[in-house]
Amino acid sequence: MSNVAGKAYGMNVITPLRWWTAVWQKIAFSVAEHFPVKLKGLITLSLIHYARWTIISRNSFPRLEKSQPKETLNYSYMLFESNFNGSWDQYIDSFSFAIPTGLDFFWAWNIKYPKSIPLHDFYHYIRFNQVECDHYYNAYPLASANDVKSARSLFHNLTQFNAETHDLSDEDFAVAWKKLLVSNQHALGSMGEGPAMSTSRELVLDHRCTNHKISQQRQQQEA
Amino acid sequence: MSNRSGKAYALTTLCPIRNGHEGNMSFDKITRHRIQLLEEDSGSPFARIPNTYFARLFILNDVFFEQGNDVHHDHLKSKYLVFTSNFHGDLKPYLKGMWDNANDTVRSIWEHAVAFDKVRNSDDFIAYIRKCQLTTSLFFNGSTDDELRFQLKSLYIKQAFSEFVLAHQNKSTSELRTAFNEFMQQMQSDNLNDVSWIPGQTRLSHLY
Repeated sequence: MSNVAGKAYGMNVITPLRWWTAVWQKIAFSVAEHFPVKLKGLITLSLIHYARWTIISRNSFPRLEKSQPKETLNYSYMLFESNFNGSWDQYIDSFSFAIPTGLDFFWAWNIKYPKSIPLHDFYHYIRFNQVECDHYYNAYPLASANDVKSARSLFHNLTQFNAETHDLSDEDFAVAWKKLLVSNQHALGSMGEGPAMSTSRELVLDHRCTNHKISQQRQQQEA
Repeated sequence: MSNRSGKAYALTTLCPIRNGHEGNMSFDKITRHRIQLLEEDSGSPFARIPNTYFARLFILNDVFFEQGNDVHHDHLKSKYLVFTSNFHGDLKPYLKGMWDNANDTVRSIWEHAVAFDKVRNSDDFIAYIRKCQLTTSLFFNGSTDDELRFQLKSLYIKQAFSEFVLAHQNKSTSELRTAFNEFMQQMQSDNLNDVSWIPGQTRLSHLY
């Protein structure tokens, strides 16, 4: 149980908004989707693998059987989920300082949204509305989003280099090699564990150990 | 509004949990307890489900409101198992892969979800998840939408090549060239199934 899986942090934030402003919010998202310049700040930050915003209309909580009580809600809700690199504080700081207008654009109609500046109120808002992950999985705990992207370009450049340099003289190969390294230097470097990863793993192991003990005690009591 | 960004898919589901209890524990607590006991990283059931980039499970007990009496305070009548995933490809084959490769986990985690007792096979499971699915309002892809096997293979080669460059800094061109040819043969760049990272891998195996 952890919001951390390797170098990624999994954030879940659920916030209320009035049903009619939910419609405006959806339009705002549609604008952002069709005019990616609105997402330029997110792209520039470069620390997010994947993020999503989902508007849950007050009447659209799944009801699968008549025996399930029907939700009677005053508000619609917005569920925000992100997979990003770094710590919670780094993420909130980066967002607040780098793209304050973008944040305000995405949360504008959410009830009691304090705006992204001043930071203290924004911190409090996110923390209050955050739900912790009970299980969080990351397919590449050792890699950041930038690692995944640079690995892709390096793969293509390396296979291309390999195919194109077979027939070169040693002198020409040496020139091409230096050019390859210079143009791909951003993709070179060992990955390894991030500092948050080790702490997280220790906490997870402690928690799992405690859970097993509780489970064993329950089984003994039931027996 | 789209669940897709290129070939990357954002699945968001809210699966209602039955109100009730077994012994002293409510169904939502039993479900949470089971989720928290899942193995992490490469031992996670999601590591067995093809093309899963990221996935998470949590229980939504209720909705929140900051202090103040100036707004109505909603409360949920059911608790919801929230399952979300980022993966490569289409929803149907992904969910079939989930049913086929993590069947025991799926049955255990969803055991107390409303109407899950009618799920008998992968087609039922796909239909069930679709009923619980919410449409993503905005999906931001800050990474790539490649097949997971390719992502893992390229990460493996990135790490190995970085180590190769470091280890061959002062070699002559002919030595470097011979070593590079051996390196590329060793990498097997056309083979995405081997000489690669495994999903959820947390330790590096150094080549140099």
